[in-house]
Amino acid sequence: MKRIAKANLAELLSAMAAEAKLYVPAESDGIVNFVSWQEGLAVELAALNVLVPPKKFFYPQTETVLQYEMGEDLQIEDFACKAGEKAILFAVRPCDVSSFAMMDKVYLEEPPDEAYRRRRENTTVIALGCTEPDEACFCQSFDIDAAKAPGADVLAVDTGEELALVAQTEKGEELISALNGLLSEATSGDENKVKDEQEKIADRYVTSVSLRGIKERLAGMFAADYWERLYKRCIGCGTCTFLCPTCHCFDLQEYAAGNCGERIRCWDACMFADFTQMAGGHNPRPSQKERVRQRFMHKLNYFPQQHGDYACVGCGRCVRKCPVNLDILEVIREAGGGTDGL
Amino acid sequence: MPVTNEGFEPLIVAFCCNWCSYAGADLAGVSRMSYSSNVRIIRVPCSSRVNPSFIIRAFQRGADGVLVAGCHPGDCHYHSGNFFTRRRLTVLKQMMEYLGIEPERFQVRWISGSEGAKFAMVMNSVAEEIKRLGPNRKLRDVR
Amino acid sequence: MQQKVEGYPLKEYTTKIRQIAKEALENREVTAIIGWRKKDFWWQSPVVFLEDPADVQQLVWDPFTIYSPVKFLLDWQESCAAKVGIFVKGCDSRGINRLLQDKRLERERVAVYGVPCGGKADAEKIRASFPSKEIKSVTLIGEELVLAVGEREERVKAEAYLLDKCLSCRHPNPVVYDKLVWEEVSPRQYADESRFARVQAVESLVTEERFAYWQRQFDRCIRCFACRNTCPACNCRVCIFDQAEPRWLGKANDPADTLNYHIIRAFHVAGRCFECGECERICPAGVPLQELNRKLIKGINDAYGDYEAGLDPTDVPPLGTYRGEDPAGFDES
Repeated sequence: MKRIAKANLAELLSAMAAEAKLYVPAESDGIVNFVSWQEGLAVELAALNVLVPPKKFFYPQTETVLQYEMGEDLQIEDFACKAGEKAILFAVRPCDVSSFAMMDKVYLEEPPDEAYRRRRENTTVIALGCTEPDEACFCQSFDIDAAKAPGADVLAVDTGEELALVAQTEKGEELISALNGLLSEATSGDENKVKDEQEKIADRYVTSVSLRGIKERLAGMFAADYWERLYKRCIGCGTCTFLCPTCHCFDLQEYAAGNCGERIRCWDACMFADFTQMAGGHNPRPSQKERVRQRFMHKLNYFPQQHGDYACVGCGRCVRKCPVNLDILEVIREAGGGTDGL
Repeated sequence: MPVTNEGFEPLIVAFCCNWCSYAGADLAGVSRMSYSSNVRIIRVPCSSRVNPSFIIRAFQRGADGVLVAGCHPGDCHYHSGNFFTRRRLTVLKQMMEYLGIEPERFQVRWISGSEGAKFAMVMNSVAEEIKRLGPNRKLRDVR
Repeated sequence: MQQKVEGYPLKEYTTKIRQIAKEALENREVTAIIGWRKKDFWWQSPVVFLEDPADVQQLVWDPFTIYSPVKFLLDWQESCAAKVGIFVKGCDSRGINRLLQDKRLERERVAVYGVPCGGKADAEKIRASFPSKEIKSVTLIGEELVLAVGEREERVKAEAYLLDKCLSCRHPNPVVYDKLVWEEVSPRQYADESRFARVQAVESLVTEERFAYWQRQFDRCIRCFACRNTCPACNCRVCIFDQAEPRWLGKANDPADTLNYHIIRAFHVAGRCFECGECERICPAGVPLQELNRKLIKGINDAYGDYEAGLDPTDVPPLGTYRGEDPAGFDES
């Protein structure tokens, strides 16, 4: 375990930025997002979490897939094989770290998505353990320990005046070694302090849900009345989807200009009316009811069936940001047999 | 602002109404009045046919300047088209300037069918202004 | 702003709403009611749709019954021929007129229950002063916000915790209704002072500063379309931004295309926007959309005379008409 005074953080970040493209949480007009670090940028470590989840570093909102030009013959330039700069993500919360492993099941399973794979490989993740969940945090219900982040390359723990740093993977060891000049060795007192911090969080949650039997119950709920009552207030925007660390659906679009053009991949939302719209006009999910049902069935039944994980990490972004307060918490509770007064 | 605009040839899209401005353009041509070859004319039946989406799209697709030219108010071939144009494009122009787009990039002028000289003069002066401003980067698509 | 102060008036208001809803459903004046209910957290009072008179107990009126329910009427009209009852605050009620004026709603198909509103609370402002996890309830009594925080009660001046949009509200009382649920409130003092303040702040910047400002704001836009989806003025059956042929808006969130979206949406609602402020309030990324929409309102007011949308469904919106002697924002020589 190493440590560094928070007062010296800027120096550490500067050293990291020399190694790779560094991304840190920063505030802009009241909203915190991961941005590219620059000298003098104020890093926001007190905020509970960033708005747009760090999935964007592996699965960007927009990326070029290929470019083509028709001259004598067709020239195609592939971009997936060029994706991925060396990057460091600093202060990723454990819920978001857990989302990476879940997304890997989508994008790294044979055949792996090359662009995603390259980005994952070239990125070092430094997690920042949490100490104080708010009422919309329920990662604990998904067995995510918000004080630790087993999937991260390095775990940082805020101990007040200092940050403790623990390498958890080979990549993490490499980074810590590269920064060794700026770090001090942690004492056993420090290690105890970290342990104390990490144990405190378990009792600080006010919201929890039980996932027991939810997959099975939902399996029998496809035709249930519940969706008819639930969907009505959904306005079909992409807020929940785009802010969700585990949502991963995309669209492929062409930007064509005569003989040349570009194909892009971009985020898409199953909440959008045209998500399943077909060329002839047919839409197998014709109303918001089918779309809302699909979202929750996917996250709590289909995905777990196929991959073993729930497609939710309890980060609470949908709970906080949905304009009509329609979120996965209430669906889990309903499927768990409780009612939400609908 | 680019360091130098030497060698920069702007692309100007001019939406010209068929009955007045386009006729004015014809007159300029027939009278051998030359005007900037940076200007590409798109003929519309009336200036009120111009949807703000056309203007934004022109900028996105590479136009450095956009001009909408119509009949003088009161002379519209369709009687009231340009009255709507006047309100609509006043609002659009205000909005674009509010968002930080240089006012010279999007202009609206009234040019009648008999104003060949005015047509040439306006096109030349717009081209000059845009040349000085440099390429439009703010509204240009990256793909 | 005066709310009737008698004991705990909010409970009285809730009772009144439930009473009206119950009667309307029992007498079959309407087949459904749209109102607000309470959900898990103190800041959640989402919209609810009720059809059974026994369910009216879910209805509430509190500082978070904010979400404008008006746009749901569009879906209702599509799916059933029956009459629906809807509770609307002052801002919401102008949305009713918006739909009527745009011929997207038939007046006889909706029973409008107007609820005069003294302002709604901003959960973010409250969270900045009080620990969210410990807040049990928040009520508005007169000019005070009363919070139950942990074991204690906190009383604060409500005005400091109201939504920005409420501070510049010119129409707290519904402008259209079939029934007025309780007494009208007095208009907010100083509402007009803040109405165009932020617009003027941006106007005071020079061109490059303006662009840098808006670039910073729109960089955060995640293209979720919450603003468009919630806006009653955005009521086209097929939105231009959803059209694939021709594709006016690309799906890539490139800066120029994002600017395209915001410019054109603001333009399409110009002269029709009634300043409910929902677009800005629900934007997850904090894009100051009212600063854009209000700029257009100010511009139209300055050039073509003061006009407020959503007050009279029979008037003509300023961009749908003209006067021969209109001024122009460009060289007319």
